[in-house]
Amino acid sequence: MSELRSALLEFRNRVNGDERLKTMNRDWNRVIAIEPTDAGERVTIRYIEGMMQVDDEPAPAPDITLVAPGGILADVFAGRMSPTEPYLEGTLAIRGSQEDVLRLDFLSLMIWGE
Amino acid sequence: MKVVVSVSLGSRKRDHLVVARFLGEEVQISREGTDGDVDRAVERIAELDGKVGAIGLGGLDVYLFAGGRRYVVREGERLMQAAKVTPVVDGSSLKDTLERDVIRGLARDGLLGPETHVLMVAAADRFGMAEAFAEAGCQVVFGDLIFAMGMPYPITTLDELSEVARKILPEMAKLPLAMLYPQGAAQEAEPDAKFARFFEGVDVVAGDWHLIRKYLPPSIEGKTIITNTTTRDDVALLQGRGARRLVTTTPVLEGRSFGTNVLEAMIVALAGKRPDELGEEGFRGYLDRLHLVPNITVLGG
Repeated sequence: MSELRSALLEFRNRVNGDERLKTMNRDWNRVIAIEPTDAGERVTIRYIEGMMQVDDEPAPAPDITLVAPGGILADVFAGRMSPTEPYLEGTLAIRGSQEDVLRLDFLSLMIWGE
Repeated sequence: MKVVVSVSLGSRKRDHLVVARFLGEEVQISREGTDGDVDRAVERIAELDGKVGAIGLGGLDVYLFAGGRRYVVREGERLMQAAKVTPVVDGSSLKDTLERDVIRGLARDGLLGPETHVLMVAAADRFGMAEAFAEAGCQVVFGDLIFAMGMPYPITTLDELSEVARKILPEMAKLPLAMLYPQGAAQEAEPDAKFARFFEGVDVVAGDWHLIRKYLPPSIEGKTIITNTTTRDDVALLQGRGARRLVTTTPVLEGRSFGTNVLEAMIVALAGKRPDELGEEGFRGYLDRLHLVPNITVLGG
């Protein structure tokens, strides 16, 4: 299993195990495409009614797309790096509405923040 | 004459200039919006540096507070550092003192109490007010996640607010302010009632005016609004939607209530001291000498 996939599965388990996060995000149904810029695999996150799924099925029209080297994506989802710095530096590109970008940032901070 | 300029990331349409007398001194107070242009605000602060008594920062908070911690907003810090000589203030020192006192005063007067349901659109920018509502026993919803993040999740305790803040604010404070707070033309947009249900059943709506306005529902029949920086047009908007009372925590001049940054800048200019030299006691002393009381306008409803 790749480092990115392993990080995403760990992230999924934490999100799905957090009852409060489920309540907070129960209205937020989104498809998120993870696109490593190097040779890594593409992965799709489906976030439905507060529950997260990770699969390989391509998302033709994702709501949010994350583009970065696989190592950065893995670090972000594993909580070794906050998404804010690479996002502001431009090494992590996030395409999507501002509200969705904020929500994804929030999700990651609630899992990995202090 | 003392000169105070509030450089704001808000809309230029709200610009104004007044001259008034405080503690026997004439003070010229102006507000200059930059329509959300942070670079322009930095340039303007640098131009004013050394030429005015104090500079206020409007349309943003440099410091956010929750649970005894202070979080520094990166873009706000950049604005603050644009002046080397003239003190630059964001109103947060004064906000904590003044707004806490205003809420305590309203509770003493019987306008707030355990039966009062309060919606604070955001509390991290005015934690003193949030704590004062809690002290008064009010039933408060802290709308930080709803109105700043677009997430329909009401926070109902200061402990949960502080816990969420500890997790998200250190990183969120690094983001561009426009991602978190309406600036420039966004301040003039037609209100969006998508969170109207959180206004239902509350007696008091409190906090930042631009967040209140952004999500103001068509009817706020009978509600009291506690805020500041309202203009005559804003008062008419509230009246048109049925608000009962408007309580502004800062003085009203020519139909407009000051931002706390303006009031803090004015005190700093009058005192000729930097905010850290004044301290809480110094600010309290000036607030007492200025005989500031909240402005309560009965609108009907």
